[in-house]
Amino acid sequence: MERGDVAGTKGRGRRRTRVLVALVVLATLYAAGCSNDPYPPEAPGEKVLYGAFEEAPRSLDPATAYDTRAHAITGAVYATLLEYHFLKRPLELMPSLAVAMPEERALADGRVVYRFELRRDLLFADDACFELGGAGRRTREILAADVAFQIARLADPKVGSPVVEPFSHIEGFSDFAAALAARRESDAAFAARPVHEQYAAVGGIRGARTPSSHVLEIVLDKPYPQILYWLAMEFSTPVPWEAIAFYDGAEGRPRFDDHPVGAGPFVLSVYDKQARYTLVPNRNWHGLRHPEWQAPGTVYPSEGEPGDREAGLLEDAGRPLPFLDRVEVRRDKESIPRFNKFLQGYYDASGIIKESFDKVMQGDALSPEMQAMGIELGKAVSPDFFYLGFNMDDAVVGRAGGERSRKLRQAMSLVLDTEEFLRVFLNGRGLPAQSPVPPGIYGYEEDYRNPYRQVDLERARALMIEAGYPGGIDPRTGEALKLTFDSYNTSAQGLTQTRFYTHAWQQLGIDVQIDATNYNQFQEKLRNGAYQVFESGWVADYPDPENFLFLVWGEMGQSKSGGPNYANFADPRFDRLFLSMKTRENGPRRLAEIREMKEILARERPWIELFHREDYALYHGWVKNVKPMGLSMPTYQYRDVDVELRARRRHEWNRPVTWPAWVLLGAGIAILVPGIRTWRRERQ
Amino acid sequence: MSGLDPYVWSNLVTVALVVGGLALARFVRGQRLWREASVELWRRRRVAIVVVGVYLVIALLDSIAWKGGVPEGTVGVLPNAPLTVVDRLFLDTKEASYSAPLADVEFYGGRPLRRPGTHLLGTDILGRDVLYMSLKGARVALLIGGLTSLIAIPIALFFGVGAGYFGGRFDDFVFFLISTLASMPGILLLIALIMVMGRGTLSVCVALAVTGWVGFCRLSRAETLKLRELDYVVAARALGVSEPRIIWRHVLPNLAHLIVITFVLMFSGLVLSEAVLSWLGIGVDGSWGQMIDGARDELSREPIVWWNIGAAGTALFGLILAVNAVGDAVRDVLDPRTLRAGE
Amino acid sequence: MAAYVIRRLAYGVGVVFGVLFLLFVLFFAVTEPDDIARKALGDKAPPEVLEIWKQNHGYDRPLWPWQDWGDNLLFDHYRKMLSFDFGLSDADDSPILDRIRAGMGPSLSLTVPLLVLSLVVAIPLSLVVAFFRETYIDRMGVFLCVLAMSVSTLLYIIGAQFLIGKLLRWYPISGFDSSLAMLPRFLALPLIVGVVSGLGSDVRFYRTVFLEESSRDFVRTARAKGAGESRIMLGHVLRNAMIPILTRVVLAIPFLFMGSILIESFFGIPGLGSMTVDAIQANDFSTLRTMVYIGSLLFVLGQVATDLSYGLVDPRVRFE
Repeated sequence: MERGDVAGTKGRGRRRTRVLVALVVLATLYAAGCSNDPYPPEAPGEKVLYGAFEEAPRSLDPATAYDTRAHAITGAVYATLLEYHFLKRPLELMPSLAVAMPEERALADGRVVYRFELRRDLLFADDACFELGGAGRRTREILAADVAFQIARLADPKVGSPVVEPFSHIEGFSDFAAALAARRESDAAFAARPVHEQYAAVGGIRGARTPSSHVLEIVLDKPYPQILYWLAMEFSTPVPWEAIAFYDGAEGRPRFDDHPVGAGPFVLSVYDKQARYTLVPNRNWHGLRHPEWQAPGTVYPSEGEPGDREAGLLEDAGRPLPFLDRVEVRRDKESIPRFNKFLQGYYDASGIIKESFDKVMQGDALSPEMQAMGIELGKAVSPDFFYLGFNMDDAVVGRAGGERSRKLRQAMSLVLDTEEFLRVFLNGRGLPAQSPVPPGIYGYEEDYRNPYRQVDLERARALMIEAGYPGGIDPRTGEALKLTFDSYNTSAQGLTQTRFYTHAWQQLGIDVQIDATNYNQFQEKLRNGAYQVFESGWVADYPDPENFLFLVWGEMGQSKSGGPNYANFADPRFDRLFLSMKTRENGPRRLAEIREMKEILARERPWIELFHREDYALYHGWVKNVKPMGLSMPTYQYRDVDVELRARRRHEWNRPVTWPAWVLLGAGIAILVPGIRTWRRERQ
Repeated sequence: MSGLDPYVWSNLVTVALVVGGLALARFVRGQRLWREASVELWRRRRVAIVVVGVYLVIALLDSIAWKGGVPEGTVGVLPNAPLTVVDRLFLDTKEASYSAPLADVEFYGGRPLRRPGTHLLGTDILGRDVLYMSLKGARVALLIGGLTSLIAIPIALFFGVGAGYFGGRFDDFVFFLISTLASMPGILLLIALIMVMGRGTLSVCVALAVTGWVGFCRLSRAETLKLRELDYVVAARALGVSEPRIIWRHVLPNLAHLIVITFVLMFSGLVLSEAVLSWLGIGVDGSWGQMIDGARDELSREPIVWWNIGAAGTALFGLILAVNAVGDAVRDVLDPRTLRAGE
Repeated sequence: MAAYVIRRLAYGVGVVFGVLFLLFVLFFAVTEPDDIARKALGDKAPPEVLEIWKQNHGYDRPLWPWQDWGDNLLFDHYRKMLSFDFGLSDADDSPILDRIRAGMGPSLSLTVPLLVLSLVVAIPLSLVVAFFRETYIDRMGVFLCVLAMSVSTLLYIIGAQFLIGKLLRWYPISGFDSSLAMLPRFLALPLIVGVVSGLGSDVRFYRTVFLEESSRDFVRTARAKGAGESRIMLGHVLRNAMIPILTRVVLAIPFLFMGSILIESFFGIPGLGSMTVDAIQANDFSTLRTMVYIGSLLFVLGQVATDLSYGLVDPRVRFE
């Protein structure tokens, strides 16, 4: 009896030991088989570029997408009539889908015509939506009508495009919108029809006509040379009506917002807003189907600006594009893990996060540590402009308050020390802005000093008294003046930055509350005029001062037309100057007008100019053909990677530090062994 | 006149709390049972009790505010704002940006500080003194724990004792309410409540209370069920003693030890919950949770900024550890049933 | 038996109805639809815009049945929730059900291994602590537990990312990939954090359970018979403690579907937890409402299942 028992216990014990050993082996295998490589292995020889995104764009519809996040995708998926030369600076337009640059023809009545001829035999990317044109069809030829259709979509009030204003220079653009809205209002059957039929029934836009299948004529009411820049952006890309009709979000089909159908060098093959997206070459792209055309933008350029050759940017001259087999972009919400993954070699490019600036940079150059890693630095003042705006429609800070509000805005402007802000938060990477016009754009003057952008606490206090808020006390309540600051940056870091502003204003005795919402809701608030003080920024669409000064043009008022004049600033004198400056050639007259506009802005303070960013982009040594465009324009088709070098470096940089595991294991054994011994002893 | 300023209210509440606390202490001294329990508690957890006491004192010093008395020449919002003793100790300590503990120059860039060598725990990115912010966090933490318990425990007692004592329809209702609330995921309900009521200290406390009273309600209901069958309660009822009086004289005193235990054990959980809420962006302004959340990126700075998260983390950890230690002892001293398990 | 099952099920349904009513009160009656629209659109949004928004999101009807029997939000709320027609997100107009379906997988792939691993680590540890009760090991263990419980989970996450991810380079700092080959390495760090942060309270709980069991009569009897202490712990105590442990586990199962709010968002796991966080940050009431409902539903289901299985095993339960 007793023997049997002991044997039984032993058997059980052995089984237990075996299970234990198996578990330990399994755990060890798990630990050993793991690495910190976040990607599955690539196919041999496959060229993949790795990137990251923070938050998925709200919409990929080229008619509404207007932020850098969306352009990172739409710029690669959609092709346009014209595009920018990759290397030449200042930026230069060249034909893309068009056979040649259009000639500009002025008509006797002041109208202007641009005639575009599309290349023959261009195809859209393969897509299921083309079944609408016939069973089994996966694609079809791109026609001039597809561009006209997209321009009509820009006019369609239901689409809600943010760029109605520049395109309304096209003859009949606004009439078309009005007629469309009226027909929809009066005729329910009409409103239920597919949009392309609606557009056709209303008769299309007069000034976007297609005399033949491959010719598009754009007629402008009056000269507006900037229209060519707009035609180089995805807003005017050809869009197939099939895609709009098919991707309506019903019956399990995605919405067109999330499912682009274009003719660009890449197609979006995976799009998971929560986790990742993937771009792969579009085999219907004319560069791949017709390499013999040697069309501009389908082969690597063989000329650039001086210095490009030395920088190795011309090594690939003449080679057909694209070089990459895949662009893999992962969602990485938090900036620090993202940057750490860059340092581990898992993202190919990155900005410099502020936390690591002192590690990455030494003076004006990369630190020795970074240089040893083969990381390269691209530095450029980007054509952008960041500012804090006041909602001029607001009763307290806006124009209704008249002189009082102006003084208040002036005072608030005088206490914000941008230099200090840049130093604390951006490691000095930026240029305090004196006016909206950034360096590199006509009208920027290096020695211009805005009288209200110099820190002067005394003067600000005096202005507060003149404004009727002595010491920041609002006479109506007897308490500190309360304002609301709307911010879309809800991160801890963003809130801290916002607090920098509110602290500055506290010096004047003003109590500014922060109301933080996310980006989309912030946009929603802007649309509805529910804000007092906000922060915003603008990145140039094209290299012209008009693209910055229009941010405070009355016609662009958010409350008036839904435009990006979030400050809702409207000043008759300013607007007159703006219209005159807009179509004028660069020259002394134009400069004088820009100067006067700056004066008005300085005095009226619809916004507090903060800074122009300096872009410090880091690239690993294996990434080739990187040249900052300034404008938000992805250039994946030019990019190349040295896959072997990357694999080697990644391996080298990511050897795990294993000794702590051994120490842990040792400690575990040291604790376990006495325990097991006690157990054994007892059992005997 | 639109009522009193918030700070006057806060002063009044503080005074009321102190008076209430003193009265309670007097009561405890008067009762043999409670006196012995507290002596035992003191014997077991001297250090932890002292630590909790220190936090309490700091919070009190930060609770009584008054206007004025600011040195001449102070500008900005300060002269018009009610300030507490703690505020006044750190009146003019703001720097431009980071300073390491006791440093003479700024951490990045090395500019001279306005007040070199005075920042015991350094300053944060906006140049605020970290010691100051950590001290201010004590009041917030105690407020969250205390106020929430003050809301939750009476509710739980009302429903729990009522349901247990009277039974019948009321009991059915309470039981149904409890099971309903208990089946809703706590953290989500908490977040939903805060989103619905808006952000702010009071709504965070109310939300924590609404999600936190269920457990104690269940406990007090079960305990009351037992108590009402006890001989002397039955006897009192037979003698015609009024029901409220029975509850007041016989039921509640027998629940008192459970109240104390629940209060102490709940407290640390509440403060930790707030840290999570802070991270979600719906916490209480000025809490340690917010400091931790704001400082976590700083660990990746190079050179590393550790004092911010270190101070907030230590302050939070110290309070929770002390309260947990006291809580364990309170349970052991007051609830003999769990003692048996340890035999 | 049938009567018991029916009664239990009916009570479960009643609780779900109660939850839905509370949700209605919370999200419709206390927060008027106007407020939801305002939160989404801003304080000074013009009334027309609010109206359009309310129409699009189905908030534009009377609240209570006595206002309009055929068309009111209360009935609508019940009908939609019970038929799993959750509608559109208040924040970005995407269908909520689709997002829940997409998030369930990543959440489960985190929470299920986490539960198993926690058990595998916590039970042996607490057995050891209970085995050495009343010695310095026990006291140390309890102290360490309290210590571990006093550290905020946030600190564990930050610490692990910094130490294991950045300095030691064992696993990716964050990220997710659902393919079987990649999943383990992404899960490693979240699992470590999850197990360690829960260890304190787990060990304390199981220790109490074990101690309670070990003071029972049959254990004393076994001890009196001279059985070795380790055999008592493994053979008698652990076996009998299985019931409370299993109850705890069964009750935890429904919540596995909900994911983990903190861990998912910090490690970039696109599950239901991080979806909830996104909803909070975007003031997305409809998503949050749905998540609370689903969580409650799962909990009720779990409880009914537990009770029914008790009822099957132990006939006395049915007559309670």
